[in-house]
Amino acid sequence: MSVRPRSLRHSWRRQALPLLFVLPALLVYALFVLWPFVNTIHYSLTDWDGAQPVKNFIGLANYRDMFADPLMWLSLRHNLIWIALGTLTPVVIGLVLANLVWSGVKGRTLFRTIFFMPVVLASVVVGIIWHWIYHPLFGPINVVLRNMGLEQVARGWLGDYDWALYALLLAGLWAYFGFCFVILLAALQGIDMEIHDAAMIDGAGSFKRFWHVTVPQLAPVLTMLTAFTLIGGFNVFDIIFVTTKGGPANATDVLATYTYRQAFTLNEAGYGATLTMMITVLSLVASYTFITLRERGQ
Amino acid sequence: MRSATLPRASRRRGAFLLTLIKYAILVMVAILCLMPFVWVWSSAFKPSLEIADTPLSLPREPTLQNFANAWVQGRFAKYFTNSVIVTVPIVGFTLLLSSLAGYAFARHYFRGRQTLFFAFLLGLTLPFTSIMIPLYYTLRDTGLLGTYWAMIIPQTAIGLPFGIFIMRAFFQSLPRELEDSGRVDGCNEFGVFWRVMLPLTTPGMVTLGIFSFLGAWNSFLLPLIFMQRESLRPLVVGLMFFQSRYTRDFALIMAGATIISVPVIVVYIIFQRQFIQGLTAGAVKG
Repeated sequence: MSVRPRSLRHSWRRQALPLLFVLPALLVYALFVLWPFVNTIHYSLTDWDGAQPVKNFIGLANYRDMFADPLMWLSLRHNLIWIALGTLTPVVIGLVLANLVWSGVKGRTLFRTIFFMPVVLASVVVGIIWHWIYHPLFGPINVVLRNMGLEQVARGWLGDYDWALYALLLAGLWAYFGFCFVILLAALQGIDMEIHDAAMIDGAGSFKRFWHVTVPQLAPVLTMLTAFTLIGGFNVFDIIFVTTKGGPANATDVLATYTYRQAFTLNEAGYGATLTMMITVLSLVASYTFITLRERGQ
Repeated sequence: MRSATLPRASRRRGAFLLTLIKYAILVMVAILCLMPFVWVWSSAFKPSLEIADTPLSLPREPTLQNFANAWVQGRFAKYFTNSVIVTVPIVGFTLLLSSLAGYAFARHYFRGRQTLFFAFLLGLTLPFTSIMIPLYYTLRDTGLLGTYWAMIIPQTAIGLPFGIFIMRAFFQSLPRELEDSGRVDGCNEFGVFWRVMLPLTTPGMVTLGIFSFLGAWNSFLLPLIFMQRESLRPLVVGLMFFQSRYTRDFALIMAGATIISVPVIVVYIIFQRQFIQGLTAGAVKG
């Protein structure tokens, strides 16, 4: 070492050493995330079934089939319903509750602890809890309805073609709004109170202050939450798979459950990969749109 | 504006009413959040017959029989062990690899740093669905599929982007002088990282550790695909198959759900300050 010129030693230290620190993570990440992703693109151009020794290149045929596949469109529709209702509602509920807590209540930490509890639960457990809540015979919802004399309203919620998706959405909402609440409460605690006070002196009522002063300051966080929920909405799987597996009669099928069946029940590795490309592109477009919007806003 | 013209007493009554409504809403939401937990945990202690009879009441004759059945016949003992066997190395590897890389990204300049960091950031938006199919066949062809590694390595890999992101932020917040003082004291580069810098990021590692633990413990789709052998199933997957086998025995299923959820809730309650701080720091500032 000592005979080497100083500059060389320096550049070894400055170039190669940091790379050594990054290398283990990079290796794992490249082999188990980046490389599989490249392969997903490759698979989507083949008709591979997971067993053949060669993967036949078939060009864009899978994509043509996918755009003509009514089940893909039905699943996508359910994703879009999930996103439309499942993005707006928890953000609004979270915002209202965060405002109530922020305006000064006793037991703020206790409320935060409780509201966030469902968020840390495994989505499989959430699914199983709500599967039971919706049970046609001894699910608490139907028991309460019957006790109230509303026998005709009681039904097997998750077995009902028209209700199943919305019933699951409600379960998803229960498990997720606490996340929005905690993020928004933290954002509220960081907003500039001077503008708020100025608006109050100018005679703005509490609703006006909320809408014209608070909401604009929360815009970056709201954008982030929306992007986050959108990605989640295109990838929703656990809660549906555990409760209805996409049924009854595809009423709760979403892209991820449909893909799972194609890829791992029917072993359509090629077509399954094409479906995951759909999910990937939608997720990436959603997140990049929102990141761009947010940066433009700042 | 109009309230200014009202007599003071009625204004005070209005404020009191508003406060009342505020608390009423918050308490109601809190009850809605807690109720399912109470149902599940109390049902787990009920005899099967009682649960069908009076599903909403607290257990009249609490019993531990459901837990014993789930633990032994339901093989939850095995699934619990599996969950621990995969979760511990996942948390360990995630912490180690993320802090090493996060340190280099935060404290060193080297060629390709931006590109590499961007490549990791891509992983933050890439859903697991995007990689699951080829990953399955890679794991199959390398013989990892029938082992715990089929969950440990991929779960660690998908957690790295977030881990590096967090650890980089924590390393960036440390003052430069510390590093130099370490060098003056004769530490080599690794020593500076290991003995001087890393101990100072303990809060960051606690935060990341909790996220990593929850992610691994609650992970479902990944082990559903990669841990198909019954003897490898973690708790969450075990519970799902358990539920489809004993559809009628709710008390047993609820005992299973309790076994999974209690460790998570305990960890959350103990570490909630760090957890929520980490969550909001990333979201609000990042």
